[in-house]
Amino acid sequence: MSWQALVNKVSSNSHIKERELDDENSRYGPRRLTVELTNICNLRCGYCLRDEDALYHSPAQLFPAELLSRVLGGARESMQIEQVMFTGGEVTIHPGFGKIIETVAAHGLTCSFVTNGWHFERVWPTVLKHRATVSHVAFSLDGATREAHDHWRGEGSFKRVVQALSRCWANDFPFLLKVGIRRDTVQDLERIAVFAARMGAAALSFAHLMPTSNDIASALALTLEERAEAEREIALLARIFKMRIGIDVGYYNTELTSPCSALSGVSANVDYRGQLSLCCNLSGFRGGNGEDDIITDLNHEEFGAAFARLQSVAAMQGQRRIKALTDLATEGSQADLTTGSPCLFCLNTLGKTPWDSLVRITPLTSNATTQPVLS
Amino acid sequence: MSVKADESAIAPPVPFEHVIFTDLDGLEGVLVDLNTKKYYQLNETASLIWRGLEKRLSVNHIASELSENYDVTMDRAVSSIRNALGDFAAHKLVTQGKP
Repeated sequence: MSWQALVNKVSSNSHIKERELDDENSRYGPRRLTVELTNICNLRCGYCLRDEDALYHSPAQLFPAELLSRVLGGARESMQIEQVMFTGGEVTIHPGFGKIIETVAAHGLTCSFVTNGWHFERVWPTVLKHRATVSHVAFSLDGATREAHDHWRGEGSFKRVVQALSRCWANDFPFLLKVGIRRDTVQDLERIAVFAARMGAAALSFAHLMPTSNDIASALALTLEERAEAEREIALLARIFKMRIGIDVGYYNTELTSPCSALSGVSANVDYRGQLSLCCNLSGFRGGNGEDDIITDLNHEEFGAAFARLQSVAAMQGQRRIKALTDLATEGSQADLTTGSPCLFCLNTLGKTPWDSLVRITPLTSNATTQPVLS
Repeated sequence: MSVKADESAIAPPVPFEHVIFTDLDGLEGVLVDLNTKKYYQLNETASLIWRGLEKRLSVNHIASELSENYDVTMDRAVSSIRNALGDFAAHKLVTQGKP
């Protein structure tokens, strides 16, 4: 069952009329490009999906405004993007943050960015100055209390996030909160929703853990049944709260229609090195060694030609997923987590989780198939 | 010694740990009570007083700052501080400090 079908079911049970989602924009959001502004981060969250060497042991790479301008021009023309989403690493570390936002503005686009909030005070004047360009800010949160959040992000992190929220609230600046669904957060979903609503968040976005190792998966990831229960709970919260609540990453969805913006060609990712790739959740994945999701280096190739190949890769990956699902359906088997969650399917079949022995990785070609191997 | 001077010498209340202050622009500020999840917007005077409480300054010391910054008499400053402390206490944002 897709996330939307689940929300529908919950709403029908609670006799609330469901809003129809009848166009691409409603289903996948606006056409957008995600850009990683840097590889480095000032925090060390143990569950982070980004490669550790890139985050902490490599020289800082900072996305140049000049390259951004060229990429945005190409993406506007060939992909008709309306928005840019900045991620990292930690976005607010980029010393040219102001120039980056000005570049977005110069192309007539809007942008948003995700941040841990630690250095938000530093970029706040820029955000305020360009509030016509910056549509909102997304803050990562690991719980509704100082103890829960600082456990992952270090002492003082929760205070800094709350101070960042306070700035936004005092200036009526839209923000949303992004929270991971893990063993330590799954019991607090409602409490987190209340916290987000009380703090004035415009939206609350949940994301299932994207496991980067057996240890992380064992310690933090939910089973298929536990995830289903969490998704039902979040669907119910989405109906109860006026604030928009949803799951952006990792939801279970076995419908054969395109399950996400990346595979639909509505979104794409450019990493901190300037490489065009399928999805920000796959990019630089910790422990991964597959690169079939990487299309080209935009330092040396124009966006237009590269985007055509990106669409081809997205289409092939989509077909791969459909085949895996229909094969299971033909056998009369329910899709397991790795096949039923589009995000985990992509992680596995694109070589991002070599430690996961359930799926044998095959090259992504026109004849690519996924052969499940029981360990 | 006058009663007012005695009161000013008493240690002021202490902000609760669950109340987080954000300095907006060096002047105004915002408080968040993490227990009630409520925001409180502070004007310049209230922010200055709150910053003084966080530093554990005496009422006299805070009043001196107020008096210098806003060209008011010490009596007026102490009166403003008393009003603010009353407001803070009424909203359970501060605990009574030890003398």
